[in-house]
Formats: sequence, structure tokens, C-alpha cells
Amino acid sequence: MKFLTTNFLKCSVSACDISNDNFPLQYDGSKCKLVQNEDIEFRPEFLLNILDRIEWSAILQVAADLGNTSLPPNKPKLNINVDELTEEEQIILRDLHTLLLQTSIVEGEMKCKNCGHVYYIKNSIPNLLLPPHLA
Amino acid sequence: MLPTPYIKCDYDKVYEPSEDSFLVLDSLEKDISFLNERFQNQLAIVGEIGPGSGIVTTFMMKNGVPSKSTSLYFALDISPWALEATKETAKLNECSEKDSYLEVIQSDLTTSLRKKQVDILVFNPPYVPAEDVPEVPSTREETDQWLDLALLGGKDGMVITQKVIDQLDYILSPKGVAYILFCARNKPEELVAKVMETQPWNVELVEHRKAGWEVLSVYRFSRSNESII
Repeated sequence: MKFLTTNFLKCSVSACDISNDNFPLQYDGSKCKLVQNEDIEFRPEFLLNILDRIEWSAILQVAADLGNTSLPPNKPKLNINVDELTEEEQIILRDLHTLLLQTSIVEGEMKCKNCGHVYYIKNSIPNLLLPPHLA
Repeated sequence: MLPTPYIKCDYDKVYEPSEDSFLVLDSLEKDISFLNERFQNQLAIVGEIGPGSGIVTTFMMKNGVPSKSTSLYFALDISPWALEATKETAKLNECSEKDSYLEVIQSDLTTSLRKKQVDILVFNPPYVPAEDVPEVPSTREETDQWLDLALLGGKDGMVITQKVIDQLDYILSPKGVAYILFCARNKPEELVAKVMETQPWNVELVEHRKAGWEVLSVYRFSRSNESII
């Protein structure tokens, strides 16, 4: 599962929907196995678009869970036109590409900060199903 | 006509693409200009519920519906077999990790997704009327039961579909649209009339077709208050 996906997954327990703690899930850094896939192509257009949709505070939290505390505190504001990006902006986008798309969690666990339910990632597939008594 | 993906799956474990699957593909193809106009040059987050073999999501990725370079595809299924099949089908059709952003997530419908994120929701539900919706199997090996989950929709075949319709406002982004398949026994006309009357959705018939003794249809749901776009 790509790092980017952590920005879309919340706890499946419906009672947690009224809480602000059901997103992002809290990743257990000691149990998450990360893999870099450098074959994934750099697409500035996609990144500029997705940046708009990203909840930056959640990116910071998950990155910190996984041991990366070097991100800028605020979401980078970039020129929306791909052809007019400065060299500096290109570098920021490259870094985001490395983090969001090239980094995957292949094994790991994460839990809801509200109810404490633990979910697992196996073989790169996150499992957000609940046991029958919680579903 | 856009090419149909090549599929090679074990149909003892996942739903074999059939008339309903092809009607969903045809509906998306028919709506391509609508989608392109709606999402032009912008990111679209595509979410398919119950991808099964992966035919629909792969079709969308392969043919760039709505746009290959700016879309992110989430395939959500309750069955572990379907998730593996979806990944395989994408690979088989050369939608590689290199240049397509597909994520498969084991999830009960969209309960695992943050609210109002999906721009294009596609759902070919378990629409066959049955006494009950089957229980979720407790092990991977109960393949027959996993298959039943892909087919049986409880009363009027609508129990699962109704859950998704009730959640549309939570699932869809402000300009989001949903494509949902029905069979005649789901009584879609009644449902559509009721939804349009009581809820803020515009519902339009995209495609319908007689398939054997079944009449299948695909409807597009979008917010009726379009001024928020």
C-alpha cells in the first residue's frame, strides 16, 4: 500500500465517524515494513493535483509514525502550471513523489486513535474489515 | 469501441465477468465525454466497490477513464480473492505499478474511506434477490461463500445497494458521481423516483439492456445542487 493511501483510510467502525481521531490511523513504526519502488514514474501533474486533496497534517503524523520527521510543517504551495515550476519546486515535487508514491508499506499494523482497533497490512494489502461483533 | 480487458481468473473464487459487467463498461464508455468534461485536467479519485475479477477498474485504467495520468484508483472488496484477482488483471493488461495508481483495499463497502473523497464511484452490486445477505466467511478457503457474497443482495436484491445509496453523500466528493447497476427485480424506477423526490440526487439512466431473462440498467447519481462545483 502506497504511503499516499494512508491519507484516505479511516477506521471502519461507524461509531468512530463522529470522532476526529478516526483519521489518520496510527501506524506502528516498529511493525511496518517499508519498501521503495523506484520504477514508479515521476508525474508532476498528478502530484500537483493530489497535493490539493491531501490532508497535510495527516501526512505529517503518519510520516512521524514511520520515523520521518523531516517534512515541512505546512503543505507546500506550488505553482499549478507544470511548465512553470521552478527548480526548487521541482525538488519539492520529487521528494513528495518519493514519499507518497514510491514508498509502500508492505507489512504492518495501524490502529484507530479513537477505539483502538488494530488493522493489518499484509502483502501490501490493507485489511480494513471488522470482526463480526464490531461490523 | 474501447478494448475490453483480458481476464484470466479462477471463477470458483471470483465472479466471472458477465452481461452486467459488460453493461458497466459500456456505460462508462458512453459517459466518457461527460466525465472528461467534469474532471478535465483535474484529479479524479475512482473508487470501485466489489471489483471481483477487476475487469471494470482495469478497463478504466487501461483506457484512461477519466484520465490515466491524473487518476487514482481504489478497488474495495470484502473478498481477499477479488483483491488478488484485481491486481492480477491489472498486471495482465499492462497497467503496471510504474504508471498507474491502483490500490486494492479489503473493506466492507466504503466504510474504510475518509468522507467525501470519491469522484467516481462504480458499483456492480450483489443484486440477486435472496432471503438473506450471506454472512462473511470466517476463512479464506470458503470460496463458495465468498462467491455468494458477490451475488446475493437480500430482499429485492437491494439490501447492499441501498446501504451504498444511503451513504452517497458521505462517500462522494462535491462533484462526485456514482454509477450503479440494477436488475429489473431491484425495481430501480421506483427507487429512482423516490430518491429524486426525497434526496438531493440527480439520477439518470445511462444504459439498459435485456440480458437473457434479466433486464439490467446502469444509473448515474450526481448531486442535484451543482452550484457547489
